Amino acid sequence: MKLPYSLFSRRAFLNGLIGGWAAALGAAFIRPVIKYILPPTPEPDQVSLPLADVKDMAAGSVHGFAWGNKPGLLKKAEDGSFIAFVGVCTHLDCNVSYIPEQKRFYCACHEGWYDENGLNIAGPPPSPLRRLEVSVEGDEMIVRKQA
Amino acid sequence: MKTLRPWFEERLGLGAVIGFLEKKEVPQHRHTIFYYTGSSILFFLGIQIVTGVLLALYYRPTLAEANASVARIVTELPLGWLLRSVHSWSSTFMIAIVFIHLLGVAFTKAYRRPREATWVTGVLLLAVSLAFGFTGYLLPWDELSLAATKVGTNLPRPIPVVGAWLTGIMRAGEDVTGDTLSRFFIFHVSVLPLALLAIVGVHLFLVQRHGMSVPLEEERKGVQGPVLPFWPNFAFREAGVWLILLGLLVTVAVFAAPGLGPQADLMAAAPEGIKPEWYFLFLFQTLKLFPARILGLNGEMVAVLIMMAGMGLFTLLPFFDDRPAGRKGKIITGLMGAGLAYAVGMSIWSLL
Repeated sequence: MKLPYSLFSRRAFLNGLIGGWAAALGAAFIRPVIKYILPPTPEPDQVSLPLADVKDMAAGSVHGFAWGNKPGLLKKAEDGSFIAFVGVCTHLDCNVSYIPEQKRFYCACHEGWYDENGLNIAGPPPSPLRRLEVSVEGDEMIVRKQA
Repeated sequence: MKTLRPWFEERLGLGAVIGFLEKKEVPQHRHTIFYYTGSSILFFLGIQIVTGVLLALYYRPTLAEANASVARIVTELPLGWLLRSVHSWSSTFMIAIVFIHLLGVAFTKAYRRPREATWVTGVLLLAVSLAFGFTGYLLPWDELSLAATKVGTNLPRPIPVVGAWLTGIMRAGEDVTGDTLSRFFIFHVSVLPLALLAIVGVHLFLVQRHGMSVPLEEERKGVQGPVLPFWPNFAFREAGVWLILLGLLVTVAVFAAPGLGPQADLMAAAPEGIKPEWYFLFLFQTLKLFPARILGLNGEMVAVLIMMAGMGLFTLLPFFDDRPAGRKGKIITGLMGAGLAYAVGMSIWSLL
């Protein structure tokens, strides 16, 4: 069947073609640009601290170290064992501090509290502080991501 | 002069614009005062641009130098302390008047047809202004600004699907680092100004295109009320308002210059008493009050989603407030009043 007139004019076809090309070309650039502005920031697999620095810590005290770009907190428990945390509040990412007199971790941003084992006990934090694994190898203390 | 004018007219053809401004009229009624807010915002914007350029001559957006370069501006450079203080206070004045402008438009329902697009560009301008405040707050790179930025950039994270990605884009990765500082700086001095000027252009064009909105009650009288010629009568009054605002601004800037905390340390615990800028206080207080879990959901996610829904509804206000004089319009006015009372109440509470 031959139509007396075109349903799709030559102009509309060309507009669609050029517009479609431009859109596809633009879309092709988006992904690499986003990849560029969102750089990978791998967190460390492990951090080693000289044992000499930490072995004489008083029981119940906390030693800070760098866990990649975040603060890490190494705590010596009353029984002499070590536990480690990522010292970042699970609410909105502020750095927490340890208050030895109260045996609690505290986040000043929105008044979040954790007990001495990093368990969230008051305020807005939704989950405990992130734990890290601690082991002694030779004269190094190794802090690792928890398996 | 006599030969210059036709020369320019032939090349630029600005006669139409001048003719428009000569004929432009400003309606007079009991809400006329809100007409002054727009130009006052532009006035403070001009001050921000000039003082911002001057501050950027010496500011250095790097981890090692940012805090020290601000300290140098305020202690060593002639009148540097005043420039920084004016820039900081002018942002507060500007955003305060942006809110007054917004409330004036909202409560006189000036957004009603055919000014929906003007309203939407206005909400975009509010967002850009707040983004200016948020990015600028980090630049002195002291303890408080770091903590505020960590919280602010973490807010989108619980949003499903795109949240973690948005946080990563704002921070340049997983954590706030020196790259975040560079990024905030370049947004503050380049990306946001370009966006702001483009949107301001559209906003001003639309305002001229539709003329000044008149409140419903005046419109319903059906007769044209008294008007004031824009030039020179209204423009001179505006100039007077600007002078008063400039006096206030410089006075406050001289007597209450902002402080500068110790250099931010990425590994240090957040300092006691962190507070965002005053215009984010109600959000800050809301976040503080939200419990960790609500009905089994992450409390922060619920809070952020509620806030986003509120902002979305606010942006689309003119599209569902389509009978401003009717019952529906009155209910919407009541809800806006409640929202305003909430924001003011929460802000005051956070200061207690």
